[in-house]
Amino acid sequence: MLLEVRDIAVGYGGAPAISDVSVDVGEAEIVSVIGPNGAGKSTLINAIAGLLRWQSGAIHFGGVDLSAVAPHKVCSEGIALVPEGRRLFPGMSVEDNLDIGCYRREARRLRARGFERAYTLFPVLAERRQQLAGTLSGGQQQMVAIARALMSQPRLLLLDEPSLGLAPSIVGEMFRVIQMIQQEGMAILLVEQNVGQAMEIADRAYVLEEGHIVATGKPQVLLAQSRIREAYLGL
Amino acid sequence: MPSLSLLEQSLITGVLTGGLYGLLALGLSMSWGLLRLVNLGHFAIALLGAYITWWLGTAYGVAPWLAGAIIVVAFFIYGVALHWVFMRFAVTEMASMLITFALAVIVESTLQFIWTADFRRYETPWGSESWIVGSLYVPKLNLMAFLVACLLAGGTWAWLRYTYVGRALRACAEDAPIAIAYGINHRRLSFILSGLCAAYAGVAGVFIALVATLAPSQIWSWVGVVFAVVIIGRLGNPVGALAGGILIGVCEALTMAVINPSWAALVSFSVLIALLLFKPRWV
Ligand SMILES: Nc1ncnc2c1ncn2[C@@H]1O[C@H](COP(=O)(O)OP(=O)(O)O)[C@@H](O)[C@H]1O
Ligand SMILES: [Mg+2]
Repeated sequence: MLLEVRDIAVGYGGAPAISDVSVDVGEAEIVSVIGPNGAGKSTLINAIAGLLRWQSGAIHFGGVDLSAVAPHKVCSEGIALVPEGRRLFPGMSVEDNLDIGCYRREARRLRARGFERAYTLFPVLAERRQQLAGTLSGGQQQMVAIARALMSQPRLLLLDEPSLGLAPSIVGEMFRVIQMIQQEGMAILLVEQNVGQAMEIADRAYVLEEGHIVATGKPQVLLAQSRIREAYLGL
Repeated sequence: MPSLSLLEQSLITGVLTGGLYGLLALGLSMSWGLLRLVNLGHFAIALLGAYITWWLGTAYGVAPWLAGAIIVVAFFIYGVALHWVFMRFAVTEMASMLITFALAVIVESTLQFIWTADFRRYETPWGSESWIVGSLYVPKLNLMAFLVACLLAGGTWAWLRYTYVGRALRACAEDAPIAIAYGINHRRLSFILSGLCAAYAGVAGVFIALVATLAPSQIWSWVGVVFAVVIIGRLGNPVGALAGGILIGVCEALTMAVINPSWAALVSFSVLIALLLFKPRWV
C-alpha cells in the first residue's frame, strides 16, 4: 500500500478527536472517507498532511515513517493537500498560488509542465492567472486549490470536501476532474459529505463516525447495508 | 503666503525627510505585516545604529560606509536572536509590542548612560555639502538617504513579488499551516526576515547619524510618525512604506512653511485619520 494509516489517535488537547483509525490507500486508487459533520474526517486528513501530530499509532507513506518527517517535508514525500474550505492565499494571484504549489525543489524543476497541465485541466484559470485568488468564484477557487496541489507533483492527493459550498453544476465537473486525475495514475484520498458522488467514483470507502472507523469495503457493498444507505443517502 | 521658492524648498526637504521616514518604516512594516510582530524596538536599534556610527566615526575615524557594513551584519544577527526569543516564548502580536517597548526603554537608558543625554552631532567635512539647483538647495547626504530608501524599498518589493522566497513569505503571512504543507520552512524564513528588518533599522541608523542631531529620547519622537507611515503604506508593503513616508514628509514640510513649524507634529496623525476616514482606492 502507498499510504498506511495504522491505529492513529489525534486530538486538540482534550480527548482525541479520532482514535484507532486505520486507512489504506493503494497506488492509483480513489479511497473515500464519508461521515457526518464533526466525525473527524478533516482531523484524519490534516494529520496525514503534516498539519497535526498524532499521539499514537503510525502513518507510513511509500514505506517512509511520517512521524520522522518534519511538517514542511511531508510534501516532498509526495503528499499534497487540498484543504477544507480551499484555503488559498487570497491576496496573491492565481499564478502565485500555483507557484507556492511547486515550491519544493523537485516540483520547481517541472514548473512549466505543471502550469501547462493546470491550465489544460482548468482553462478558465489561464485567463485569470493575474487575478487575486480571493476575488474568484467558489468553483474557480476550488480549481486553484486542486491545481496548486497538482503543481507539487504528488503521488497522493488529499481532498477535503472539494464539493463544499459549490453550485451543483460545478460539483459534477469537480468529480469528473478528480476521476481524470486518478486515471493519470494518482492515488486519491477523498473526504466528502456528498456521499452519493464520493461513493460513485471510489474504489474503496471507509465510514467514519465519532472518531472511529465503523465500516469499510467496496462502495456497492457499503451502500447495500440499509443502515448506511439510510444515514447517508436518506434512502 | 510664503514665496514660491520657499514652497519649492520645503517640498524638496519634505521628500527627502520622507525618504528617511520610509527607511525607518520599512523594517517595521515588514515585521508587522509578514511576521505579525509589532517591533517598537525597531526605533531604538535604529538610534543605536546612529550612535554607533557617530561613535566609530568620531572616536576611531571609521568611515560611515564601513560602520554601516558592520552594523548591518551585527543587527542582522541581533534580529535573528530576537526572533528566536519570540519563537521560544510563542509571543503574540500584542505581547511583542510590550516586550519591544521594554527593549526600547532599555536601549534609551543605555544610550543615555554611555553617551549622556547631550545632543550629538556627527561632524564631517562633507556633511553639509549641497547641490544647488537654481535657487534651491539639495543636501547631498539627505539625497543619498532618499536614494538608498528607494533602492531598498524597490528591491524588497521585487524580492517579495518575484522570488520563491518572497512569495513564500507572503504565503506564510496569509496562511502559515498551508504554506508549510507546501514545503515552506516557515521557521527559517521568519528568522531571515527578522534579521533583515533589524538590518534595515541599521541602515536607517547610519543615515540618521549623518543628517540628524542625536539624543537618546529621539526614539520616541519617531514612533508616532513612523507608525502612521506604516499604516498608510499598508502593512508588509515596502513601496507603500516609502510612499507613505514621502507623503507625511511633504505634508509636514509644507505645514511648517505655510502655517507654523509647531503644527508639524499634528500632521502625520491628521493625514492618517483623513485617509482612514475617506479610504481612497490606493489605501
Ligand atoms: N482546531 C480544533 N480545535 C479543537 N477541536 C477541534 C478542532 N478542529 C476540529 N475539532 C474537533 O474535532 C472533531 C472532529 O472535527 P473535524 O475533523 O473537523 O470533523 P469533520 O471534518 O469530519 O467535520 C470535532 O468534534 C471538532 O469539534
Ligand atoms: Mg471537515
